[in-house]
Order: sequence, then structure tokens, then C-alpha cells
Amino acid sequence: MTLEIQNLHVRTEDREILHGVDLTVKRGETHALMGPNGSGKSTLANTLMGNPNYEVTEGRIVLDGEDLTEADPDERARAGLFLAFQYPATIPGVSVANFLRMAVNAGREEPIKVKEFGALLRENVDLLKITGDFTKRYLNEGFSGGEKKRAEILQLAMLKPAFAVLDETDSGLDIDALRIVSEGVNAMRTDERGFLIITHYTRILGYVRPDFVHIMLDGRIVREGGSELADELEQKGYEFVREEVAGSAG
Amino acid sequence: MPANPTRAHPAEPGASGLVEERRKAALQTYEVESVPTWRRSGFWTTSLRGLDLEALEPKRYEEGLPQLDLGDDQHSALIVQRGANVVHTDVADDRLIVMPLEQAVVEHEELVREYFGKRLPHDEDKFAAGTAAFWTGGVFVHVPANARIEHPIQIAWTIDEPGTAQWAHTLIVVGEHAEVKIREFFEAPDFEGQALHSGAFELYALPGAQVDLAHYQDWGRGEVYDLSTRRVEIRRDARVKWVPIHLGGRLTKQTLDIITAEEGSDMRHTGMYFTERDEHLDLFTSDRHEAGHTTGDTVWKGVLTGDSRASYEGLIHILPKAPEVDTYLQTHQMLLSPKARGDAIPSLIVEVDNVKASHGGTVGELDEDQIFYMMTRGVPRAEAVRVLVEGYFEEVVQRLEDPGLEDLVRRRIAEKLKGAEDQVREFIGERAEAV
Repeated sequence: MTLEIQNLHVRTEDREILHGVDLTVKRGETHALMGPNGSGKSTLANTLMGNPNYEVTEGRIVLDGEDLTEADPDERARAGLFLAFQYPATIPGVSVANFLRMAVNAGREEPIKVKEFGALLRENVDLLKITGDFTKRYLNEGFSGGEKKRAEILQLAMLKPAFAVLDETDSGLDIDALRIVSEGVNAMRTDERGFLIITHYTRILGYVRPDFVHIMLDGRIVREGGSELADELEQKGYEFVREEVAGSAG
Repeated sequence: MPANPTRAHPAEPGASGLVEERRKAALQTYEVESVPTWRRSGFWTTSLRGLDLEALEPKRYEEGLPQLDLGDDQHSALIVQRGANVVHTDVADDRLIVMPLEQAVVEHEELVREYFGKRLPHDEDKFAAGTAAFWTGGVFVHVPANARIEHPIQIAWTIDEPGTAQWAHTLIVVGEHAEVKIREFFEAPDFEGQALHSGAFELYALPGAQVDLAHYQDWGRGEVYDLSTRRVEIRRDARVKWVPIHLGGRLTKQTLDIITAEEGSDMRHTGMYFTERDEHLDLFTSDRHEAGHTTGDTVWKGVLTGDSRASYEGLIHILPKAPEVDTYLQTHQMLLSPKARGDAIPSLIVEVDNVKASHGGTVGELDEDQIFYMMTRGVPRAEAVRVLVEGYFEEVVQRLEDPGLEDLVRRRIAEKLKGAEDQVREFIGERAEAV
């Protein structure tokens, strides 16, 4: 049971951004994808979900044997993929609770019962230490950066996908919020679920220890290793990796 | 009663002399004026070429309550006019006067004399004149001073068959410090053929009154032409919240004016429209400040589908003797079809210094990023579109602050979106591919 990204080439209108990315995440594993700004991490995340702004010109995205490369975003979601967005859209006029109910129901044959939904929502609101009228507010409207990230993780917790991609979920969070979000993610790490944590910094990896680390530069994965790779990066920075790659290429 | 040498029938009771004089003068105007064509912003034209006015006539009906969808089960009063006559009146709260205007002319002469036509000249154009000359039945509402009326007063106008000309007049006087909810409905079944509703509406909110006013128009799929002028005058320290909802009509040309006439008056004007098929909507609203220290807030939102046309112009007009006004106007329009055409024009005339007035407008399509976001949560495209459009209107719908009526509006919007689903999918899909 795996998410396989095979030789993925992706372009926007202007240019190719990903030049052949291979990455396999098995259920039960947590992978970190690290890289400087502009290296193609968010492009990969958006392409995994089928964002129409990105075109796959070569390669495949396969989930548990099913080729999703051409699938619509809603089919991918129902197949078990989830993306916590770096910059989630605002949905005016739709409360967090109503949005969650709709999303939960989208993955079910029969709509969830009111009581069951209420219990599920309460459980996850508590998990993420969400207080006040948060779930009654329109999704992301007037939310702070931290509130938006928390709303993303709340959706993750409610939808329980097989594979979750977290795109820069740590950026914009203060230490307390980072800890709460990380604890939420850790609570969801099970043998049944794979994570791909995309981050620029190493600090979330102090809370959510990855099993594997991949470093992306200029649209390619250039180094891979265990969690110790993140520690090395912490000490040496991306320039070190860049020089190393340039050296081996020369 | 003072003698009136120009009155045709001095023996007529009540204010009918006043009404008759107005009818006569208006008839002269109606006969000399040609059928108007309205033009705006260089290219926008509302024409009545397609309307066969001569083929229409007033139609009278037996008394009885017709089938209506009014959202709320409870009312303090309900008055219904079908075609040319009032067919049902039920006044549950005996503090209110709610009756056909024809009857009020006789029974409440002083009130009618003081307010009738005060803000509605009979000679503004051919249809204003036609309404002043030909109205029958009509609605009169009086809320006494200091009365707090819990349930809404419901007024309904229905057109039941093609060939109908409905000349309508509603006069409402809300007494000092009274509080009331008023809903006026305009409904027709889906029929084949033409009909006309030419309407006049005037509401006077006396000092300190609190009025919660809504208009709900859904003329169905028939060829109903609606040519109406609605004016609301707000006196000292009174407040009117006005929510007009336009959900259907072959051609609608309306002028909606809300006038803060004395110091301390406040208005909240929040409207919406949804056009489909070959409907044509032409709305002009004005937020007119005649006195200083008045406040206003206007928000209009529209959605266009099919081959429909919708033009909204919203004017803020602050007169010379009205300093310290604080008001703003926003207008938004969303196109859901490649063949729909619309514009949304905010405008401003300020004739005095020291006021706060701002306006803004947008015309756009659904945001593809929002649709993508919702789809990544497993929501199919059509449902995402529906939810986004409902969310877009929600700001307006919630201003109704009336669960029954809110549900009615939400239900109708959902039905209309269902009907427009295929073209919306095609349109949004094309856009997505073009990116």
C-alpha cells in the first residue's frame, strides 16, 4: 500500500519545474521533503492533488496501484490523498463546521449522522486545542496564518486520509501552535497512514521525526537519507548541498 | 374638508378626490409619453420593444387565498392581490391597519392624504404615470406609533395568467418608534405568454421607527415584465433595513431609492439577484442623503447564468445640506455563463464637504483556486460551484435575519443552480483548461 511518484515531469505555462521526480511513500512511513524556496516542493504537492495550473508532461502518480495522474482532484481525495495547503483558499459564507461536514460526506455513501459528526468534530477540536467560535467562522475568512494552518490540520484529522501531504504547515506558526499541530500529526501517525511533510526549515522535524528525508533542489531530488539528514542540513544549510551536488556533477 | 374646485366628484368620500385628480393628471402624461427606452453607460439598453402592451388587461379574481410560498408560517397580517384586486386580507394584530389602498382612501383619509404619492411623482415616465392612473386594489399599511409588531406583515402580489396587466401601488406608514418587519412578495407560476407588473411602492419610516423590509421577487419562467419604482423615506433617528431579492422575471426595470431625510436616520440596503435564460434585469438604486449625520451601507450581489443580462447601478447622492454623512456602497457581480453579460456600476455625487462616502465594485467569475481547494476535499466540481455561489450570497441572505425566508431564498438559489449546472460546468471547465 503505497504512494508512488514515478519520473514526474511538471510544467506551468512558462517552463518545466519538476524534471523527473521519483518518490515512494509506504503506509506507516513519514517522509520529509526539504528544499529551499523555489525548488519545486509546492509544485509537487499541487501536482499530486491535480491542480489544473500544473501539467504533467511525463511520469505517473500511482496510489495503491491506481494511476491517478489524470484524475480530477476530487477523485484523488476520495482515493485517499490529502493536501494541507501552504496558502489555503478562503471560502466565504461556508462555516468551518459546514465545510467539514461536506468534506466528510464527500467520502461516504450515506451522509454522516448529526450526532456522529458532532462527536467527531469535538474530539478533533480538542485534539488541536481549538477554542471559541472557530468552527462557526467562515473557512479562512479573516483567519490569521496560524488559524489557517490549524484549520488544515483539523480537516486532516476529520478526513483521515491514507496519505497526507503537509505543505509548509510549520511556517507561520509560533512555538506553541507548532507543538499543538505536531502533536496532532503524531496522533495520526499509524501503520495505515503515510505522511509527506514538506518544509523549508527543520524545526517541525524536531517534533515529528521523519523516517526518511529527501532534499529537493531545482526540481530534482538530490539527496536522500534517514532523519539524520535533516540534522546535517540543520548544521550545514542548503548551500552545502548545492555545492556538493555541483561538485559531483562536475 | 376644504372645498376643492377642481375635483370632479365633490360628493366622493374620503381622499378619493385627491386620488382621482392624480389619476387624471397621470392619464394625460401616460397618453402623451411614448414607451421609454433606457440607456446607461454608453452601451446598456433596456427596451420594451418585445412587450405587446395593447394585448394586456387587468384581470379580476374571486376572493380566496391562493397557493403561496412565503417562507414564514406566522404573520401579523397578510394581504394578497391577484391580478387587479385584493383577494385575501387577514389582520391578526388589531393594532395594525392593513387593507386595500382603495378602501384606505375612504376609511383613512387623513393618512392617505398626507402620504399618498409624496415621494412618487406621477409624471416621472410613462409607466409611473400608468401606475398612478390605472392602479386598482392596492395595499395600505399603517403601524401605529410605539407598537412593536413581532411577526412580519406579509404583502403578496401574484400574476396568475398571461395577458395580465397589474398596476400596483403599496403605501406604508410606520409610526414613530414603531418596530415592524414587512415582506412584500411578487410571484407568478410558470406560464407561456406576456404579463406586466407596473409597481409603485412608498414607505415612510417616521421618527425613531425601526423597519425591517424585504422584497422577494420570483416571477417564474413566464414573460413577466416588471417596471417598478420603490422609495423609502427615513425620518429622524429612524432606521430601515431593506433587503430586495430578485430571483426571476423576463424583464425587470426597477428604481429603488432609499432616502435618509432627517438627521440621525440610518439605512442598510442589501440586495441580490440571480438571472437565467434570456432574462434582462436593469436595476438602479440610490442612497440619497438629504440631511446631515445620516448613515448608510449598501451591498448588492448578483449572479448571471444562461444568456441573461444584468445591469446594476448604485448611486450615493449626498445633498448640499447633508454634512457628516457616513456611507458606502459595494456591488459585486459573478458571471457563470460565457453568454451572460452584465455590469455593476457604483457612482457618487457629493455636494457637500466633510462626509465619508466610498464605493467599490467587482465583476468576475468563480475563483478557480477556490474550486480546486474544495475538490481536494473530495467535493465534486458541480457541488463546489453550488456551495461557492451559495456562500457568495450568504452575506445577503443572512441580512434577512428571518430563518423561514432565508430558507426559501437558499432553496430557490439551489434549484436555479441545479438548472444551470451543465452550462456552469462547461464554462468553468473551459476556463480551467485555458489556464
